[in-house]
Amino acid sequence: MTAGPEARSPVAVITGAASGIGAATAALFGQRGWRTAGIDLRPSDADLSLQCDVTEAAAVRSAVDAISARFGGIDAAVTAAGYYEEGLDICDITKAQWDSMLQVILGGTVNTCAAVLPHMIAAERGTIIAISSELALGGSATDLHYVCAKGAVLGLIKSLAAEFAATPIRLNVVAPGPTDTPLLAPDSLWREPGYLATLPLGRLVRPAEVAATVYYLATEGSMYCGEVLSPNAGAVI
Amino acid sequence: MAAAACRAVALVTGAAQGLGYATALRLAADGFGVAVNDISNDGRLAGLADRIGGLAVPGDIADPDAVIAMTRAVAEQFGRVDVLVANAAAMGMGSFLTQDPKIWWRQVEVNLSGHFRLIQAVVPQMRAAGGGRIVLIASGWGVTGHPNATAYAASKAGLIALAKGLGRELAPQGILANAIAPSYIDTEQLRVDADDAGITLDEIRQRYRELIPTGQLAAVEDIAAAVAFLAGPGGSAFVGQILQPGGGVTRTRA
Repeated sequence: MTAGPEARSPVAVITGAASGIGAATAALFGQRGWRTAGIDLRPSDADLSLQCDVTEAAAVRSAVDAISARFGGIDAAVTAAGYYEEGLDICDITKAQWDSMLQVILGGTVNTCAAVLPHMIAAERGTIIAISSELALGGSATDLHYVCAKGAVLGLIKSLAAEFAATPIRLNVVAPGPTDTPLLAPDSLWREPGYLATLPLGRLVRPAEVAATVYYLATEGSMYCGEVLSPNAGAVI
Repeated sequence: MAAAACRAVALVTGAAQGLGYATALRLAADGFGVAVNDISNDGRLAGLADRIGGLAVPGDIADPDAVIAMTRAVAEQFGRVDVLVANAAAMGMGSFLTQDPKIWWRQVEVNLSGHFRLIQAVVPQMRAAGGGRIVLIASGWGVTGHPNATAYAASKAGLIALAKGLGRELAPQGILANAIAPSYIDTEQLRVDADDAGITLDEIRQRYRELIPTGQLAAVEDIAAAVAFLAGPGGSAFVGQILQPGGGVTRTRA
């Protein structure tokens, strides 16, 4: 016998759940009564922690199928897995660096969407929220591989949103400004007072603020379809 | 001063019906003290104020004296305004070349200039309190344009630019300005649109659904939730942004 959707707590799959935005998102959803499953190379504090490389499509599919079997479905997926390499000039980005960045950020998002969508299609419900970056909206003078990968996520999610618009499944993007996470090294240029002074808000975005935006989209965002919400401290207006 | 002064206080314009009404209910449910404004002082506004334990401050926001009186009344009751929801709007469809200029400019006077003056009146209170939120209700038509709605679209596009400019100018003082650009909402306005088009309410709903990728009209509660998000703790890193909960109509173009 199949339990109705109201019979269980809602379930969120979060990639990159071991740190930064992913960890904050898992924590917030957990506080609000969701069951959380974290997919990360490292262990996470989610209710269910699965160590898995998001660039491995089959592994992601297995992990997601296991989560759905364990929790009885998947209501939300948040793709926060990623990394950052700061200060690279375009001429200094190697092919290996380019390929790896695209595989993790774009490929990881593709693999996660491909793994969760069959469950959402079967349940005729679900929401996917991809984490991009304000750099994908405003561009950047360096780190082209990161910016391109985050920009590609916009195209991917907007197109999937259009493809699923006629269904109850929603896909949207959160594009945070520079956020105070371990991805920004202690000596990162994004932490320098001279840069922060250029932000209207004058400070980095907090991971909890990004998580709150994700949570809003997941719980009250049914009218958003292929949109980009950008809690960015005024970095891109 | 009322005990309510320790609560955050919101002022919602255009609150006698539709989106403004739903927004006042939502903000009250979220714990705000709420003052509600509308141009007409009929039973609906007073009834809403009674229902939420708020304050009715009727008046035409295009009238500078009314704006001063309104903000003074809110200050006397609540002490200050922490959140301004600029929702009141005038709308009149008509061909650009033949529409009565009075009707054309009235839309700009209310939608844009009226809220400009209201923002001028409340920002000093927000500065004194160390911060605040301004949520401007723009429109998908302010993003995409619409035939026979040049004044409405121009005024709403003006609000989008205002949110961006205010965002940059006021964020250093802790005052966060953003806008929401909804598209087709299931409100009383649909009845007006249907009458204008000479069709039934169900026909206008269907006509609008066909313009929306998701095929769903927004409920007023959907847009009120967006206001509550921007006005609440989750909105603290949003500056000069344009939320577009329109089912994909505008495709994030603002």
